[in-house]
Amino acid sequence: MMALRIKGLRKRYGDFEALKGVDLEVREGEIFALLGPNGAGKTTLIRILAEGLAYDSGEIKVFGKELSRETRRLIGYVPQESIAYDLLTVRENLEFYADLYNASRERIGELIELFSLPEKKKAKELSGGFKRRLNLAIALLYDPKILILDEPTTGLDVPSRREFWEIIRNFRNEGKTVLLATHYMEEAEELADRVAVMNEGKVIATGTPGELKHLIGEESIITIRGLLKGLEGIGYPFVERGSEIRVRVRNPREALPEIVEILVKAGSSVKEIKIEEPTLEDVFVKLTGRGLE
Amino acid sequence: MNPRAIKGILIKDLKEVRREKMVVFWVFVFPLMWVTLMGGLWGSPGSPVTVDVGIVNPGGNFSTLITGVMENVTINGTHLFDVREFPDVSSGLEALKRGSVNALILFPKDFDANISSGLQGKVVVYFDRTDPQDYQIVSSIIRSFFSGVGREFRERKMEMMMAYIPGEYFETYNLSEERIREYFLASAEPIALEERSVRGEKGEGIRFYVTGFIGIQFLFATMLSIGSSVLEEINKGTLRRIAASPTTPWDFLIGKSLSTLITITVSILVGIAYARLVFGSTLFPSPFGWLIIFTAAVFSMSLGLAIAMLTRSERSTTAIVNLVSMPLLFLAGIVIPASIMPEWARPIAHYFPLGRALKVLRLSDIYGRPTGELMGDFTYVLIWSVVMAVLAVASYAWAIKRME
Repeated sequence: MMALRIKGLRKRYGDFEALKGVDLEVREGEIFALLGPNGAGKTTLIRILAEGLAYDSGEIKVFGKELSRETRRLIGYVPQESIAYDLLTVRENLEFYADLYNASRERIGELIELFSLPEKKKAKELSGGFKRRLNLAIALLYDPKILILDEPTTGLDVPSRREFWEIIRNFRNEGKTVLLATHYMEEAEELADRVAVMNEGKVIATGTPGELKHLIGEESIITIRGLLKGLEGIGYPFVERGSEIRVRVRNPREALPEIVEILVKAGSSVKEIKIEEPTLEDVFVKLTGRGLE
Repeated sequence: MNPRAIKGILIKDLKEVRREKMVVFWVFVFPLMWVTLMGGLWGSPGSPVTVDVGIVNPGGNFSTLITGVMENVTINGTHLFDVREFPDVSSGLEALKRGSVNALILFPKDFDANISSGLQGKVVVYFDRTDPQDYQIVSSIIRSFFSGVGREFRERKMEMMMAYIPGEYFETYNLSEERIREYFLASAEPIALEERSVRGEKGEGIRFYVTGFIGIQFLFATMLSIGSSVLEEINKGTLRRIAASPTTPWDFLIGKSLSTLITITVSILVGIAYARLVFGSTLFPSPFGWLIIFTAAVFSMSLGLAIAMLTRSERSTTAIVNLVSMPLLFLAGIVIPASIMPEWARPIAHYFPLGRALKVLRLSDIYGRPTGELMGDFTYVLIWSVVMAVLAVASYAWAIKRME
C-alpha cells in the first residue's frame, strides 16, 4: 500500500513558484529520500505534508485518505530547527508536546530510554545531536506511521550522524515509513530504499540509488585534484568543486591519459587522480547540469 | 476545545516565566520599584516640613519675641522654621530670589510702637511664587503661624482690658467676669474653627498607589507578555508545530491568556503584600475589584497581542507598547489622580478603557461606592475588552495565515 501519494502538487509564494506539479509515491515501510539542493522545494513539500501549509492545487493522499488534520496525525515530523523550549527540561518538553497531541505519559519514559535522553537537562544545555534526538522523540510521541525528517543530520559531526542513521533504520525495521529530505547524497545513498531527485520545484527522477546511477549508463568518474588549468580544453562533461574536478567518461583507460596531457600542457599541477563509480551527486549533475551544494 | 492542550500550554508558559530573568524583572521587580517610589514619595504622611524663613527685624521687643517663638516651634521634634536674620530688605530679597530662603518676613520700624499702643501691627511677607506648590505650602504655614500669634496677642490684650473694668459693673448688669471674657473673645474672633481628625479607611495614599501599580501591570507586563510570547513561538517555529497538532488556535490563545492572567495575579498579590509590609497599609481588591482587574487585563492582553500580530516583530512590539504605555502612565490616571490633571488630559483617563477600569476600581475599593452605581463604567470597560479580544483573535488568525 502507498503511504503517501502526491499528484500534481503546486505551491506559489507570490511570484515564486516553489512546487511546479510534484508527483510522488512513497510505499509503506520504505525509507524514501528527497534529494536536492537548497531551494529545490523539499522543505515546502514537507511543510505541506506535516504542518498543513496551504497549497494551490494537486492531490495528497495518506494511506489512501485525503490529507487532513486527522490523517496528519499519522505523520510525525522532525524539522530542521529545534522545536524544544530552551528553558524547559527534556521531560518537560516531551510532556508539553504529549499534552498537545494527547499522547500517553508512559510513552515519554519509553522515548527517554530509547534515545538515552538526559531527562532533567534543559533543552538549551543539550548538544546538537541530543537536540535532534529530542526533536525525533517529540515526533514519535503519538506513534505515527510515517516519519518525515527535514535535513535531520545537518550540522552534526560524523559519529552523531551515523548514530542518527541507525535510529532511522530501526524505525523502518519496525515497519514504519520514512520520508527524508536531504541535500547530502551520502545520506540518501546510505539510508534510502528509493530516492526522488528534486530540482527547482519538480521531481526530475525517482528510483533506487542503483536505478538512478544507471541513468548515467556505463560511465565512470575521474576525480582530479590539484592546481588545475586548461579545463576548457578537456572535451568531457565535468563538475568543478574547489581544487577538484569530477569528469564523466565512458572509457577511463582511454580518457585519463588524454585529460592529464591537456591539463599538464596548460600548466596544471596534478596532486591526485582517482577513478570512481558514479554517485547520486553525479546523477544530479547529469540531470541538472549543476552540483548539489 | 482541548482542555489537556490548554493545560499543557498554561503550565509550559508558567515554567518559562519562572525561569526567564527578564520576565521576572518586568512582572515583579519593576512594579515593586514603582510601589516603593510612589508610596515612599506620596503614599505615607512623611516627615514634617521645615520652612526656611528670612527675617528683617529692626530690633523691637515684640518682633524679637515673635522671632524667638518662630525659632522654637517644633512638630514631632522637628523645627518648623529655620530662621535667618538679614540686616535689610534688599539682602533678604536677594536670598529669597536665590532660593536660599522660602519667604522673607519684614517687621516694619513702627511694628513695636503700634502693638504697644494697642494699634494693629503690620507684617510684610515676601514669597517667591515661581513654584506654585511650594508657595502654597510656605504661605499657608506662615499664615497659620501668624494667626496663632495674633490669637495669643488678643488674649493678652483682653486680660489687660478686663483689669480696667470696674467691679460694680458686674453687679449692675448681672454679668460674671467669665461671661465678659467670652464676649471679648467673640468680638475679636466671631467664628472659631476647631480642627479634629479621624483615621478613615480611605485615608492612606498608599492604597491609591497600589491601584496605580495594578495599572502599571496592565500597561507594561500584561500588554507585552502575551504578544512577545506569541511572537517568540512564531520566530522559533514552535507555533507551526502547535498549529499542526490537534490543538486549535482557541486552545492556544486560551492557554496563553490564562498563563498571563495567573502571572499578573501573582504579581499583583506580591505588590499588595509588599505595600502592607513596607507601608503598613494596602488594598486587597473586593470580588468586584478582581472582576474589573481581569476584564481590564483581557483588554490589555488583547491590545498587546493585536500590536504584536500586526507588527510581527518583537522589537517593534516593545517599541509600540512603550510608546503607548509611557504617556498613558501619566495621562490615564494611573500614577496621577485624574482630579488634579489638566482639563485637556482628563478625557484620556475617562475614555481610555484602562484609565476607566482603574477609576472604577478606586471608586469601588478605596471610596466604597456601591457596585450598582459603577455598573455603567464597568460595562464600558467590558465592551471594549470584548471588542479588543475579537480584534486580537482576528489579527492572530491573519498572522498565522501569513506564517509561510
